[in-house]
Amino acid sequence: MPSTASKGADGALPPAAYAAVLASLPGTGPIGLGELLREHDPHTAWELVLRGDAGRSNKRIADRPPGPGSREAPWSVAARQVDVAAHWRRLQDGGIQVTFLGDAAYPAPLCQDPQPPGVLFYQGALATLDQPRVAIVGTRRCTGYGRETAFALGRDLARAGVSVVSGLALGIDGAAHAGVLAALDSSPDGAAGPVGVAASGVDRPYPRQHRDLWRKVARTGVVLSETGCGQPAQAWRFPARNRVIAGLSEVVVVVESHVRGGSLYTVDAALDRGIEVRAVPGPVTSSSSAGTNQLLWDGPGPVRHAGDVLDVLGEVRPWPPPDRPDPRRLDGSLDDTGRRVLGAVDQTPTSMTVIAERTGLGFGQLSATLLRLETGQMVRGGGSWWERTHP
Amino acid sequence: MLATVPSATLLGVDGHPVIVEVHVSNGLPTFTIVGLPDTSCRESRDRVRSALLSSHLPWPSRRVTVNLAPSGMRKGGAGLDLPMAIALLVAGEVLLPVHVEGVAFIGELGLDGSIRSVPGVVPLVDAVTEPTVVVAAGCAREASVVGRHRVRTAPSLSSLVDCLRGRQAWAEPPIPSIADDNPREPDLVDVRGQRLGRFAMEVAAAGGHHVLLTGPPGAGKTMLARRLPGLLPPLSPAEALEVTRIHSAAGLRLPSSGLLRRPPFRAPHHGASAVSLIGGGTAGMRPGEISCAHRGVLFLDELAEFPAAVLDTLRQPLEEGAVRISRARASVVFPARFLLVAAMNPCPCGEGSVPGACRCSETGRARYAGRVSGPLLDRFDLRVLLERPDVAQLLPSGTGDVGGIPESSASVVARVIECRIRATERGVRCNAELPAPRLDELAPLAPAARTLLESRLRNGRLSARGLHRVRRIARTMADLVGRSGRLEEEDVCAALLLRTDPFASASVEP
Repeated sequence: MPSTASKGADGALPPAAYAAVLASLPGTGPIGLGELLREHDPHTAWELVLRGDAGRSNKRIADRPPGPGSREAPWSVAARQVDVAAHWRRLQDGGIQVTFLGDAAYPAPLCQDPQPPGVLFYQGALATLDQPRVAIVGTRRCTGYGRETAFALGRDLARAGVSVVSGLALGIDGAAHAGVLAALDSSPDGAAGPVGVAASGVDRPYPRQHRDLWRKVARTGVVLSETGCGQPAQAWRFPARNRVIAGLSEVVVVVESHVRGGSLYTVDAALDRGIEVRAVPGPVTSSSSAGTNQLLWDGPGPVRHAGDVLDVLGEVRPWPPPDRPDPRRLDGSLDDTGRRVLGAVDQTPTSMTVIAERTGLGFGQLSATLLRLETGQMVRGGGSWWERTHP
Repeated sequence: MLATVPSATLLGVDGHPVIVEVHVSNGLPTFTIVGLPDTSCRESRDRVRSALLSSHLPWPSRRVTVNLAPSGMRKGGAGLDLPMAIALLVAGEVLLPVHVEGVAFIGELGLDGSIRSVPGVVPLVDAVTEPTVVVAAGCAREASVVGRHRVRTAPSLSSLVDCLRGRQAWAEPPIPSIADDNPREPDLVDVRGQRLGRFAMEVAAAGGHHVLLTGPPGAGKTMLARRLPGLLPPLSPAEALEVTRIHSAAGLRLPSSGLLRRPPFRAPHHGASAVSLIGGGTAGMRPGEISCAHRGVLFLDELAEFPAAVLDTLRQPLEEGAVRISRARASVVFPARFLLVAAMNPCPCGEGSVPGACRCSETGRARYAGRVSGPLLDRFDLRVLLERPDVAQLLPSGTGDVGGIPESSASVVARVIECRIRATERGVRCNAELPAPRLDELAPLAPAARTLLESRLRNGRLSARGLHRVRRIARTMADLVGRSGRLEEEDVCAALLLRTDPFASASVEP
């Protein structure tokens, strides 16, 4: 039975409604909530909280000294002021769905987690999690190299049918998901959707620059968060979120990380759970790669491209995939000018100035040819630079 | 005893006629100036007195009142010294009214009686309605630029009095110079490589499109920008006078012929204040850099280093071609129709023109890109990324010269003028000014070009405003190859690729 079914025949609210308000109470920590819901169904748990008895049945809460600092008092005080039905209606109006520990829809990988989120809010389709899942994480302060690599990994893994799990942050996280979205754009049926794990409420896109990305991820995959709706991301939510990313994934790939980067939390959480960790090597002089290079020294193997990740997942296949269009065949469909321009574009970004010098063509003809090659997906670029898509 | 002498005063870039009235009457010796003189004008009193005494001319030890009419307008500058002295001499009956009939005077006096030049002689003389005007010898050519007056000069007050009385012949009037003695701009032939940059400069000059050059340090952005005025056609006589007036009012150095015939080039440093760029000031209402660049090129190097507030003051003048400065006492309109060229690095480290090349953090790049506001960025029709030229291009080997000798400015100018003529036939000065409602008629699209633009609009890579700009640029592209009528696909492609987002690699994933 779907957890988000609306009111039952007797007018009672579904259990998910109680789970949602429990998660939205002030001072709700992920650990305490998880344990509470492991022992009781959401409705019972809610009743316990309302009565102020939640601690009596929960050792972790009960072991705490009473008085200020105990979460008993604020929980039950706040709980008495909540209109569960109205809260539930607001969620439904916002298109936000809820699942909880013990619910049928609750993501299976998290059921065995040592610290599972008690309640998950999500937008999109949880079915995205049925595919193989790989987390691509890294620093927000990334270099162009890191962004490129994350983008390529995201794109190629999505094409290979792997759901890319990431944190929707600036830098590496965003680039990985942008790669997934690019793969979906070019082959809508053949690519797996993205999984975004947020630290703020699912209705509070953070950072704001990624509002668009956030929306697209929710539309093509799923955005989920254990933070109550309408709540902003507090600093402590990020490490907690990283444990969910690790818990959801079969492999964690770190693309770039500083020596004390937040993505190393994800690595620690993954290692605690016995999940494979891989890192993308970077220049030894780059501070953005200092954390990942350290990781490689410590043990986890390197990742060069999506093929290496698939290898870890147990799918050994030739890389790059042979199903890519043969460049010679494409060349055959080109006229002389097209071949001349294609020959002037390197596989690394080549600037327009250089292409113009190399071809010696008039600017109008050159532009028209480049845009035609772009339509044929033989080159890609931003206008001021171009690169070949095939060797 | 009453005497009146005509003169003029400056407000903004326009002269206004002023009548200097002097009344000498019996009473305690005083000297009062009324009619809203500013400080430098009020100080005339001491200069005039000393000049008269040094020239052995009488100073009336009586009650003297000087009125500057019309009295409601504020008068500034030292240019009213000379008319005051002459009016005093007429009132003191040293000169007869018939001697100064139909003569206007503009000049500053030295304590020794010498006559000195003042800034803004061109608009000042332009405001004078009398047939003859007397100015300092130093600005005789400048004064004759207007061409409606007999320009007389004298080195000093005493010799001027002798000339007016007819006891001495006037100095020879300056011969109007026909020769173009404007300094030559640097030539495009010096630029090695940079095919894209050179082409962008040609398009900018031909269509009057504002251009933003981005690129790493040493790519030649400044070098190219300095060559842009050389690609523009010479100023028409009316434009030349208009520009000369502004430069004269701003107190800028004019060529020795007095007339600016080449489009001006102004390159203010990024420490410039908003007032110095757009004009104003409490006392003088001086034209700003954008007005000094009127009909020429305004070059803003290191665009990102300009304070955002200063840059955003440019938005309105860029649209309207003029800027209205309003202060409590006065409001003036400065013409400001200039071609804007700006240069900046793609990111703080300067190397980020191509993805992967730069060492900056994502946030650092985003912050740098954010320094130029979206609306201002949008006003650059052409946005071009430059790269450092190859070693082979910088030091061409003797045997196989790469690409031959670069084209010189002169041959580019010929195409630019062609383009401008076509624009004039359409009723605008340049293609950048083509009105949006008439684009369908003046820049019709061939089917292939239409399909391309439609797909761009549909997938969100082009905005409605961007569409107009692309069509104007494409019009220029077609004009440059001498194709009138419909815009072909390659014109539109070239226009699209000359208008890329300079920060694309910072904000958009590959």
